[in-house]
Amino acid sequence: MASPARGFSIRRRLLLLLSAPLALLLTAGVLIDYFSTISPLSAAYDQVVASSIVAVAAHLDIGADGRVKSELSDQAIAVLRADNHDEIYYLVLDADDRFVAGDAGLPVAPEGRDNPSFADAEYRDAPVRVATYRMKTASGVVLISVGETTNKRRESARNMLSYIVASDVAQLLGTLLLVWVGVRVGLRPLLALRDQIARRSARDLAALDESPVPSEVRPLTEALNRLFATVAEAANAQHRFLANAAHQLRTPLAGLQAQLELLSSDLQQHGAADPALRERVARLHTGMQRLGHTANQLLALARAEPSANPAGDFRELDLADLAKDGVAAHFDRALAAHIDLGIEAESARVSASDWLLRELLANLIDNALAYTPAGGNVTVRCGIVASGEIAPRSAFLEVEDDGPGIPEEERVRVFERFYRIASGEHEGNGLGLAIVEEIARAHGATIELTAGSGGRGTRVRVVFAARES
Amino acid sequence: MRILVIEDDALVADAMVRGLTQSGFAVDRVSSAEMAEAAMQRETFDLLLVDLGLPGMDGFEFVRRVRRAGSGLPVLIVTARDGLADRVNALDIGGDDYLVKPFAVPELAARCRALIRRSKAAGNPQVVVGHLHLDLPRREARVGGEPLELTPREWAVLECLALHAGQVVHKERLQQAVSSWTDDITANAVEVYVSRLRGKLGEAVSIRTVRGLGYRLDES
Repeated sequence: MASPARGFSIRRRLLLLLSAPLALLLTAGVLIDYFSTISPLSAAYDQVVASSIVAVAAHLDIGADGRVKSELSDQAIAVLRADNHDEIYYLVLDADDRFVAGDAGLPVAPEGRDNPSFADAEYRDAPVRVATYRMKTASGVVLISVGETTNKRRESARNMLSYIVASDVAQLLGTLLLVWVGVRVGLRPLLALRDQIARRSARDLAALDESPVPSEVRPLTEALNRLFATVAEAANAQHRFLANAAHQLRTPLAGLQAQLELLSSDLQQHGAADPALRERVARLHTGMQRLGHTANQLLALARAEPSANPAGDFRELDLADLAKDGVAAHFDRALAAHIDLGIEAESARVSASDWLLRELLANLIDNALAYTPAGGNVTVRCGIVASGEIAPRSAFLEVEDDGPGIPEEERVRVFERFYRIASGEHEGNGLGLAIVEEIARAHGATIELTAGSGGRGTRVRVVFAARES
Repeated sequence: MRILVIEDDALVADAMVRGLTQSGFAVDRVSSAEMAEAAMQRETFDLLLVDLGLPGMDGFEFVRRVRRAGSGLPVLIVTARDGLADRVNALDIGGDDYLVKPFAVPELAARCRALIRRSKAAGNPQVVVGHLHLDLPRREARVGGEPLELTPREWAVLECLALHAGQVVHKERLQQAVSSWTDDITANAVEVYVSRLRGKLGEAVSIRTVRGLGYRLDES
């Protein structure tokens, strides 16, 4: 029941379906946040650089001949270059691109739509941001460039990124938590329904309680309840049918069987002239006994099935009492077959259906008596087996014979209905062990079929589930 | 010994009547509970053999009425239904024993004999099993008229077995029956008494051992 449910869980599916897109959304959010913060930041830094151009431009002296001269004092240059994080460079080129002042070789930003124009470049082995202002003079265009290393920018971009990532991850975790809680709470009615079904016994055919069931699942529970009702009605019908069938079959069988029995003993007593006639009546009698036996077995098998057998039948009983009654009931048959039928019983209490277990034991003893030759032994045992060291102790009931035994390769098959051992010329109907298995299953008991002690014969042991305390 | 068979199925009833007659009983047969009540007013019987599934008043109701009228007559219920409820009911309403159809005729006769013997023993302190005759108040056992020499413990074992002739008597029960004279009698001691009894009884009756369980006294 648990294994097929393992592969597919609504909760896992919902969590997966929700968290994978959420993770994608987070990544996109980080990128969007990053780029939308980084460009105004960069613009602000550019603005500062541009303002330095103004300072440099203000100190340029452009003569009437077009010659450009820088009048920046050392002090002004120091102020211009003053920065805690970055190196600041400047360069002034005249209309003919000749060096006027500043740091020679500082790259110039290519002309763009804006003036000043900006560009990323490299100077003295470090990345720089360069702003170049093209100042129109009478003699041509004078270029004023200011460059700044990018330490500040990178630093703040890094800070910005880690802040964005941290806040987005926190949001994602919060959302996932909400999703998880939501899925859990949302699925609670479904889990309650699952538990309700899991707690039920296999024999319970009462309707499911539909009050906590969400409307999405209600068609399912309604279908289940309709099914339960149908099955319960079928079980009742089967019950009635079996009771009627038992009566309708057994009464004429009883009449026929008793009449044949009397007829054969009459023939015997009156020493009927024709021995062949006696033989035929004896055969009829045996056949009738087999028919009666099979009818009984079939009824027992049908009634051992869980659907025909309400759980209310179970009560506390001692296997020893049952075993003693079983041996006493079969003593005549054992006597007639010249088989020593005995018992080794220790008290073993189980919760079980009394008449089902009697049926089980009767079938085991029947089989043992049928397959054991005259002079053999059949022993019924019950008691407690310790299974494992930490002793949850299990009750067992077993029947052992020292007959020819069941070949190893047939041991599984003998529990099939109507299966009969190939080698045997016995008059079984092959239902005995099927009944035993059905009844054992109804009690949650297991069956062990082995050779008897000393490797001879057959031992069938029914082990009941261990009980607490 | 007179038995009233109340059974509506002619085939079954006929077999019961024949089988029981052959076993030495006087047998009357009726096919309904109403007819049985009429018959019981006219005659006296030693045992009622009742089928549960009767037309009209069913077997349950009939047995209940017999018991309500204060009759202690032994009742053997014969039924085709062997569900737990049916079995429990059969005994609860006042049946003394039940037999599920189909049954073997010798078993039917044996059950009838056991029930009648038990009901007689209650009022009549004589027990007869085959050729064995026990006089309970005088603690005397005879086989074919010849008195048997028995020790008190052997008598106790034989009395217990004879009162439940045809039934397996558990070893523990025999131990208890013997223990009234001494403190503890082991199961082995019971075996010794049984084997001595076998020797003294000879072929008159047989005491059979049910290994691990006890003994059963049968007519030979």
